Amino acid sequence: MSPSTPAAAPAGAIRGSIAAIGTATLGAARDAGGIVVLAAEVLRSLFPHFDSVEDRGSSTDPAQSPVRSVRSRSLRLRWPSIDGRELVRNLYKMGWRSLPIVTMTALFVGGLMVIQFASFVQQYGARGLVGWGTGYAVLREVGPLMIGLMFSGRVGANNAAELGTMTVTEQIDGLQALAIDPIRYLIVPRVLAMMITLAVMTMVGDAVAILGVMLSSQLILDIHPLTVWYSLVQNIGVGDFLHGMGKSLVFGAAIALSSCYFGLTVKGGAIGVGKAVNAAVVSAAVSICFLDFLMTYLTA
Amino acid sequence: MTTATRTRRTITSIGSRTLETVAAVAELGSVAAQTLAGAVFGYWRGKRPAGGIARQMYFVGNRSLLFVLVTLGFVGMVMVYQTCLLTTKVVDGRNQVGAQWIRLLVLDVGPSLTAMMLATRVGAGIAAEIGSMKVTEQLDALRMSGVTPVRYLIVPRFLACVFMTVVLSMFGIAASWAAGGLTGYYSFQINPRIFFDVSMVEPAHVVVGLIKAATFGAAIPIVSGFCGLRARGSSEGVGAATTSAVIGSSFAVIVLDLVISFVAMTAFGAG
Amino acid sequence: MDAGSSSMIVMRGVHKAFGGRPVLAGLDLVVARGEVLYVIGTSGVGKSVTIKHLVGLLRVDAGEIWLAGRRIDALPERDYQVIRRKVAMVFQSATLFDAMTLAENVALPLRKHRGLGAAAALADARRRLDEVHLADLADRFPAEVSDGVRKRAAIARALTLEPEVVLFDEPTTGLDPQSARRVDRLIRELADRRGVTAMVVSHDLASIFSTADRIALLYQGRVHACGTPGEIRGSVDPVVLQFIHGRASGPMETPGF
Repeated sequence: MSPSTPAAAPAGAIRGSIAAIGTATLGAARDAGGIVVLAAEVLRSLFPHFDSVEDRGSSTDPAQSPVRSVRSRSLRLRWPSIDGRELVRNLYKMGWRSLPIVTMTALFVGGLMVIQFASFVQQYGARGLVGWGTGYAVLREVGPLMIGLMFSGRVGANNAAELGTMTVTEQIDGLQALAIDPIRYLIVPRVLAMMITLAVMTMVGDAVAILGVMLSSQLILDIHPLTVWYSLVQNIGVGDFLHGMGKSLVFGAAIALSSCYFGLTVKGGAIGVGKAVNAAVVSAAVSICFLDFLMTYLTA
Repeated sequence: MTTATRTRRTITSIGSRTLETVAAVAELGSVAAQTLAGAVFGYWRGKRPAGGIARQMYFVGNRSLLFVLVTLGFVGMVMVYQTCLLTTKVVDGRNQVGAQWIRLLVLDVGPSLTAMMLATRVGAGIAAEIGSMKVTEQLDALRMSGVTPVRYLIVPRFLACVFMTVVLSMFGIAASWAAGGLTGYYSFQINPRIFFDVSMVEPAHVVVGLIKAATFGAAIPIVSGFCGLRARGSSEGVGAATTSAVIGSSFAVIVLDLVISFVAMTAFGAG
Repeated sequence: MDAGSSSMIVMRGVHKAFGGRPVLAGLDLVVARGEVLYVIGTSGVGKSVTIKHLVGLLRVDAGEIWLAGRRIDALPERDYQVIRRKVAMVFQSATLFDAMTLAENVALPLRKHRGLGAAAALADARRRLDEVHLADLADRFPAEVSDGVRKRAAIARALTLEPEVVLFDEPTTGLDPQSARRVDRLIRELADRRGVTAMVVSHDLASIFSTADRIALLYQGRVHACGTPGEIRGSVDPVVLQFIHGRASGPMETPGF
């Protein structure tokens, strides 16, 4: 930036920021594309497929070749096989890891909702509506959203860190060198485990949040827990519950895919692992908010 | 004999875990105290990196703006949609939705959700950065050159984060309110003149919202910086530090939200 | 065209660049069946890069790679799964899976490729660990054992699929001399008893001259010199002399210095 051309500075700055926006957009598009490709690969591993190994052979006699299976031609149907041990290990670990934070979060969220609802009660004397209003919000919206965000911070971040460490220490290359497909062996069990765990955690969280609502209604508004309960069961249907559960399954898949993607694409040692965790939780948060809107809109 | 040994071992492990927890809490308290002291007294007495705060503000604020606008915007659309669905079933309370939504946004959802989003983005970033410096012994190098890591690394992030959380909460509230208004108009034909109604928002609500935003903004860098300073090992250590920063600062936001809401409610009924 | 049925590995005119920086520039290399070939050279000259091409972890920019008379450089990823069962690789960092014990690590390929049940695979894994004298440490986690033990466990894991070619990436780097000699002996036994072809990337002069059948020196992206340990020792080429005598000055510039 030379002093003789003062007008060049703002122009340069504008050009620079446009370039920065362009680069950021390209990066985001690449990551989104990568996550979609990963989703497709995971889906493909869940369906039966043909494994083909073919070789037209060269001038040497195949019988003499020690690398026989490379030369033979085979086509066989492979059923999707999910590594049961990895699935169970992940279910156990993820469930155990997220249970405390989910129950605590849900309890506090229940309390918060009552505090926010209190002004309604004081304004309109709507004591009978506490169970309904909070139950509706918890089951359909606040439960899946808050528990999804906390689950992403705990399990999604942890998963990105674990896969990221495996990537930078060449353990993923090690798997491939053993002719084990990382998608099938590592990613598919994790995606399934996260979807199942988040759905279960949302159920637990919903229950605890409603418990929190009943508890704090008694403490703050002096409304009997049974009043809250009756107001809830009379007005809330199975549809509201299923609406929330559907969301949590979708959120689980989004958290799993983004954390696996950023974990597998780590570059550059310890610093890279930290950045991957950061990117995983941020993209999970954006996906959760966007999918929440989409699901609400589509299933309303 | 074996039972006795096992019991003894269990007691030992519980004891050592308790000690670890107590030590961690003490350390968190010390980081918080050093940060606050550094922010209030020490920071203006030199020894600060040139442009430190400005750079951190850029990282915390500008780089998170789009993220906050997008997420809070979607949440605004969803919340208004769900509330409209509920109100159509009972009374025709649709005309109240906009006024109630802005009240709730200012009082609670705006600051707390913005802070939750910043906890994932900024909290993870701070922990990853400080954690990487820790495991590559850069923090030791800082200490050797006579600089306290808390003052040099956490204080600028703290000041930037407090300020920017307040600013971004305002942006988030605006985005969420606007997106809600659009949803109300297009999906439920609520007149924007009726939706964008601020009559329910009292000055006390604004004060509570601002206090919340500033408090959350203070909690995020302290908790995340603490997690980063505790990183051990190499890549798995940095990963673990980043993870605990996200979850720790998100949880801190929820707990502080409940505490402030409760105090505000009992103090002047504006929970 | 046949690349010679007595050659296990043939690399011809292999080029590979990373981000515009050429690493391999027309590399030609032939490894005979049952031979132990050591690939040597300064850091960053592309030794590890060379062997990663053989199992499809990296793909050539130009050139041909033949394995047992079959061209493999253009195969799709899925076909490499078959090659990787025959060509094992032992990584520099051992790359044992942190979350599993040594025995579980060795059992994993057995479960995945031999169709063994979990218990049978573990039993077989223990037997294989016993062969490399690690029976006592089978239930330890990788983080709890020394580098030398990790390396031997990684070799045991690589051998579970009865490979015909084993690629070693710096197998003795970071080991104490005694563990290093043990690894050398293991490599020599593989070739002598099982007829395995081995390609070893190494800096360790003691291993190189005690274990190799032939030695290939990489320099500026090509094989600069290739021959038996005796021929390399007797060479008067300045680059070879500089490497084997470890001189700081000479025609070879070390990147970054």
